[in-house]
Amino acid sequence: MSSTMDITTEDKLDLLRRMVLIRAFEERVIDLYHRGDIAGLVHVGIGQEAVAVAVATSLLEGDYLYGTHRSHGHFIARGADINKMMAELAGRANGYCEGLGGSMHLVAAEVKAMGATGIVGGTIPLALGTALAHRDAGLVVAVYFGDGAANTGGFHESLNIAALWKLPVVLVCENNGYAEFTPMSEHTVVERVSEHCKPYGIPARTVDGNDLLEVLEAMSRAVEHARNGEGPTMVECLTYRLRGHYIGDPAQYRQANEVAEWREKDPIERLTKQLKSERALDEDAASTVKREADERVEDAVRFALGGEYLSMDAMTARVFG
Amino acid sequence: MAGSELSVDTLKSALHRMMLIRRAEEQVIDLATSFDDLIRGHYHVYIGQEASGVGACMALGPDDYMFTTHRNHGHVIARGGEPSPVIAEIIGRTTGYNKGRGGTFHVIAKHLGVLQTSAIVGGCVPMAAGAAFSIKKRGTDQVSLVFFGDGVLEEGAFHEALNMSSLWKLPLIMMCENNSVLPEGRRQGEYPSSSFAATQLADVAKAMNVETHVVDGGDVREVAGLLTELAHRTRAGEGPFFIESRMTRWPGNRGSFPELIGGPHQMDWTWDPGTADARLQDWLTNSDPVSLLCRSLVEEGAMTREEVEEIDAATRKEAEEAREFALSSPTPSPESAMDYIFA
Amino acid sequence: MANLRFVDALREGIAEEMRADPRVMILGEDVAVGGAFGVTRGLVDEFGHGRVINTPISEDTIMGIAVGAAVAGKRPIVEIMFVDFITLAMNQLVNHAAKVHFMSGGQLAVPMVIRVQQGAQGGWGSQHSQSLEAWFAHVPGLKAVAPGSAADANRLIRASIRDDSPVVFIEHRGLYFRHDPDGLEPGESVLGKAHIVREGSDITLVSYSRMLTECLEAAEDLAGKGISVEVIDLRSLVPLDIDTVIESVRKTNRLAVAHEAVVQGGLGAEIAARVQEMAMDYLDAPVLRIGAPYTPPPASPKLERAFVPDRAGIAARLHRMLSYSKEEGS
Repeated sequence: MSSTMDITTEDKLDLLRRMVLIRAFEERVIDLYHRGDIAGLVHVGIGQEAVAVAVATSLLEGDYLYGTHRSHGHFIARGADINKMMAELAGRANGYCEGLGGSMHLVAAEVKAMGATGIVGGTIPLALGTALAHRDAGLVVAVYFGDGAANTGGFHESLNIAALWKLPVVLVCENNGYAEFTPMSEHTVVERVSEHCKPYGIPARTVDGNDLLEVLEAMSRAVEHARNGEGPTMVECLTYRLRGHYIGDPAQYRQANEVAEWREKDPIERLTKQLKSERALDEDAASTVKREADERVEDAVRFALGGEYLSMDAMTARVFG
Repeated sequence: MAGSELSVDTLKSALHRMMLIRRAEEQVIDLATSFDDLIRGHYHVYIGQEASGVGACMALGPDDYMFTTHRNHGHVIARGGEPSPVIAEIIGRTTGYNKGRGGTFHVIAKHLGVLQTSAIVGGCVPMAAGAAFSIKKRGTDQVSLVFFGDGVLEEGAFHEALNMSSLWKLPLIMMCENNSVLPEGRRQGEYPSSSFAATQLADVAKAMNVETHVVDGGDVREVAGLLTELAHRTRAGEGPFFIESRMTRWPGNRGSFPELIGGPHQMDWTWDPGTADARLQDWLTNSDPVSLLCRSLVEEGAMTREEVEEIDAATRKEAEEAREFALSSPTPSPESAMDYIFA
Repeated sequence: MANLRFVDALREGIAEEMRADPRVMILGEDVAVGGAFGVTRGLVDEFGHGRVINTPISEDTIMGIAVGAAVAGKRPIVEIMFVDFITLAMNQLVNHAAKVHFMSGGQLAVPMVIRVQQGAQGGWGSQHSQSLEAWFAHVPGLKAVAPGSAADANRLIRASIRDDSPVVFIEHRGLYFRHDPDGLEPGESVLGKAHIVREGSDITLVSYSRMLTECLEAAEDLAGKGISVEVIDLRSLVPLDIDTVIESVRKTNRLAVAHEAVVQGGLGAEIAARVQEMAMDYLDAPVLRIGAPYTPPPASPKLERAFVPDRAGIAARLHRMLSYSKEEGS
């Protein structure tokens, strides 16, 4: 989709379906976590689905994507197989990474989703490298990071190098206001992460990350800029995770009214409301969207929990093999 | 600028320090090139940058902290360090400030508040922020001053430290010494580089709400004036500050293997740059901080040529004595190799 | 190959691979102007700035960029000017380069070479003289090689570039401007294969990198006293060719390991442990470890010389080793 001008009602319904699928997947992940079927440190992005879907929509098939520790939505939006994703979260050999990566280190190379990471800001340099590798091929690399990553040295080193080498990278900041448990006002002096771009001459925009169409419009321009060989850009998406930092985080560092305010801005609700006002969606159709997503997720759970575990021999053979 | 108000006595003492650095560094270069085994690796001298270090240190009080880089010899002397233990350290003698354990890259003088010298690019900025944090926690009115080169802005740790010092309003002065600026660019203009995308180094600090200044690092009055004002404001809780001190490279500064073009500096070159090697003339005319200060003091009638040359002779003698001191000092015994590993 | 200096043999190996494979590229501080030691000198003229890429002083990001380029089909070589500076890039090296292949369940490969230069020589002090190979050997997913000859530098850099895993290629700055001694026959140079450089029957002496030279000289000195030392050049630290070492120990019944790195926690400890696990009954004396004392490298040239093991010291300790008897202890 090259421009938001072309978006049809059917497109919007499709975007909604994808957000709903991500939400259904992650809600089920939470459930499985509490049942003991998924372990580890698992970060869900409930409330941030609009960014994931908009970014994925702005990219072409050959483009690359890098995620963060909170990347289930990024990968699903990109078209990753949710069966293999669920199996990976459940640590099974039929998962994308044979159970060796888990939630924080997902890789779905078949859809050019090259990696999530447990290191804050860790994939930004990787994205630069992939962009360097394909600099002349007209490909674009999008990389996610959070507001917390903007305080890591690698982020600043990367701004400099991306600008210096005019790399075809779109830096997608999911600014959800918190670096783990610390609000932005306590971890940095800048109001907006995009302010760091100015000294390097990197064009940057800050958008409402819960407005899918606004993110899509900004992303489409950014991707076009990169594809035209004009270098890096940043799209800072102001959003909010409606759940804690990780599954099990009671998130007591946030005020109830703040969470309530952001619930009002839930991106799925917003697009649903818009489609209803355009008479493109009614209550029944909305339920169908939800039901279909739940069914797909149930299939994924069956696939995942039916999977085997990798043997120790196969695991040690993976180090160099 | 407050710098013009410096008294003649203050300027004389600044000139003395600057010349002392120049003469001590000349000894270092001579030791490195005359002996095979004294300074075997690469090393970095401060010739041509004396005004920046001396001017900045003039703003410090005895209790303030200072941090520096691989190009530290001049900073330590500017801070009041004696050439003898500095040169002794550079050639690894027990009488050196670090008892021969640090060498050219790591001269440290705790009694002068020189708490750390790191050869890791940008390595000292976080530590200087840490010292500033300690000052803030203790509630004293000290200042933490850190010198570093322009390459430091390419290192992530610098940006991490910049954010935290701004966030916590630390009493930190970041003195970025950019020694590759053309003479006409020392006061204004942009800084193009093949390794840094921002054309104004200060913009990076500005983006993090840090007050920034650009100063002509070849003019000791300007540096001292600015730093005195900023040190005062830092003590009042207005820090941190970022300064880009712009200097023009001494032609003998060939990376890490410097060369004394035409031998040690001669005062005749200062008075008449045309008498120097052709490679030095432009620099002596427009950029050498020592020559610029000498000529302006004489032109203003603050000093006579003879008085300037007396200071020079005194520093030359001091540097020669420092060399002899260092050469006659013992090297650490192999039996002492295990000392200082743990406190 | 003519008897080139180490630095030239290494450069030639890189150039040959760059000619053969357009995916090979080099990134690092100053590499387009030859690098700090001239290893990459002239490569930019042949391969251009698109493949010989000067970088800012941003070690961690450069390491990450290489990983990102590798997973996307390039074969990058990263030059870290001093191994001491790899501390700034350990994040990307350890957390991504070493384990992206594993964590992705084999979906991605990271074919990259990390060239580092190390060693205590020249009195450059504690931040420019360390030997850190044991760190790399401890991280699953990183290979590590440390050639001790120009011939191996040429062959092993080529093997490393062709390998599909990240390889830390350890160069000693004391070797750069040396020619190999006459008659040195490198044998087959592949990753994971040690080489018996000198055959002997009384003691097995294992080494690598520059320390190999000291070991060969010590062996020569001891030969004059009638002591026959078998010198093994490990060359590859990961994978480690322990079989060659074991086979030698079965013949000589004595083992010494010499490296420039600090003894404590060094490669010598790993080799000693494996040999006692696999060939305890063949040992007539405790395994001897020779290396630097437990201190940071000192700046003072005199202390530095005492810090680094040398020919005479190695010979003296091997000589003492022969007088060990199980009944009396050492």
